[in-house]
Amino acid sequence: MTRAQDIEAKAAEWLMRREQPQWSEADQAALAGWLDESIAHKAAFWRLEHTWQMADRIGAFAARDNAPRPRRRSLPLKWWQASALAASLLLAIAFIGLHSSPTSAPQPRADTFDTGVGGHRIVALVDGSRIELNTATMLRTMISNERRDVWLDRGEAFFEVTHIENSVFVVHAGPRTITVVGTQFSVRREGDKVTVAVLKGRVRVEDPLRGESSAMTTVTPGDVAIGLGSSMMVFSKPIAAIEDKLTWRDGRLVFAATSLAEVADEFNRYNHQQLVISDPAVAAIRISGTFKASNVEAFVRLLKQAYGLKVESAADGTLRISA
Amino acid sequence: MVDDQALKEWFCREVLPLERALSAFIRRNWRDAAEVVDLRQDVYERVLQGARHGLPAQAGRFVYTVARNHLINRAKRARIVSFDVVVDLDAISGSDVLEPERQALAREELRRIQLGLEKLPPRCRQVVLLRKIQGLSTRETADELGVGIDTVEKQMTLGMRALANFMLGGSAKVQRSRVPGLLARRPAR
Repeated sequence: MTRAQDIEAKAAEWLMRREQPQWSEADQAALAGWLDESIAHKAAFWRLEHTWQMADRIGAFAARDNAPRPRRRSLPLKWWQASALAASLLLAIAFIGLHSSPTSAPQPRADTFDTGVGGHRIVALVDGSRIELNTATMLRTMISNERRDVWLDRGEAFFEVTHIENSVFVVHAGPRTITVVGTQFSVRREGDKVTVAVLKGRVRVEDPLRGESSAMTTVTPGDVAIGLGSSMMVFSKPIAAIEDKLTWRDGRLVFAATSLAEVADEFNRYNHQQLVISDPAVAAIRISGTFKASNVEAFVRLLKQAYGLKVESAADGTLRISA
Repeated sequence: MVDDQALKEWFCREVLPLERALSAFIRRNWRDAAEVVDLRQDVYERVLQGARHGLPAQAGRFVYTVARNHLINRAKRARIVSFDVVVDLDAISGSDVLEPERQALAREELRRIQLGLEKLPPRCRQVVLLRKIQGLSTRETADELGVGIDTVEKQMTLGMRALANFMLGGSAKVQRSRVPGLLARRPAR
């Protein structure tokens, strides 16, 4: 490696480490020391930092940007689907036969279902499908003979879809189009971010603006697809990991070396009693185990006993966790 | 003395957009392409050293002057290197000012970021995306992908560097370490 590349590699390492949860004041001081060692270090570090921050904008494409998209190249991996500047996320369980004839169907039936914080509800649809709503979730359904539509307005739901010849099952949720061909999958929506995990069946991811045949990718059980803004990606997880993420269905939360920050966020989804952690060192503590989603008290007790953390009730009603 | 914050802002705003022109200038005037990256880094170092005592009014002219002087000094110092390493000292050329990349539209810039990402090797891109879109730490990325944290760290730093090269006008080639040695450094011609 040449001298410049050497410095650049070191600068990249610093930059990467600085973004990690365990970054400490001592690390910060060490970085300052390294930068002060030579102006060459500063040049290399500032240069990388600058472009690395620019790259933050990949998740921030304007949703209604009508600019011509870069021509599609044959990508090595199909899952990278950038530039979907789409209208609505569409999860369609497209069972064979999209071409159903327009018959004189009975009036389509529309319903709204929701759960409050900590809520959990199983809904049986008239077509025999089941939808399991997680905490703080709202969805609307519209069922007719030719098609079944579900709009996930917020929250998370697990779907078990009954196969009906000539009747598509479509889930709409957010700013892109994903078509699911499958029977058991979950969809979680946090604003524009949509996560689809497939347990059984297949998921087809589509960009609606690009036309039907051009950009399509199939995701199989064990895959998780995440869409945010115009970006879309899919990666594989062990089925067990996906099942861990679905334990909310029986009121449990399962964590495997998950940061306390994330664990607290997860508990906060289910409970009015909110946990607040301001110390990054505490937030970075790794937690493993199975907890009852509604039992914040038990979890807090564990933090006190096993981790020796302080828990105080703040004036605003939150529980503050500190070292 | 210019403080670091001001120096850094000036560097990112005025100097980095010159990178494509600067690299082209060095490549044009130096036979050994393998040294371009080192020379560019030297120029940045000298530019910052100079700018510390007062930000130059015209970055393009200033960087050009620094680059030209540095190439000449390097060529004079390196006695062992044969004369043809430097194309022609007196003819070191180009306009006497480097032109920044034309101010890209915000949209163009995004496109460039996207293209840069597409050019990354798959594993590298995956790691960068998990960081940028999902905000995962290296530990979490390693868990997510079922690979070692070392792999994630390596891919992430390679990605950062390749992205910088591409976005500032280069080729987005992932720079892996080369075998050093005189033979490798000799120009082909």
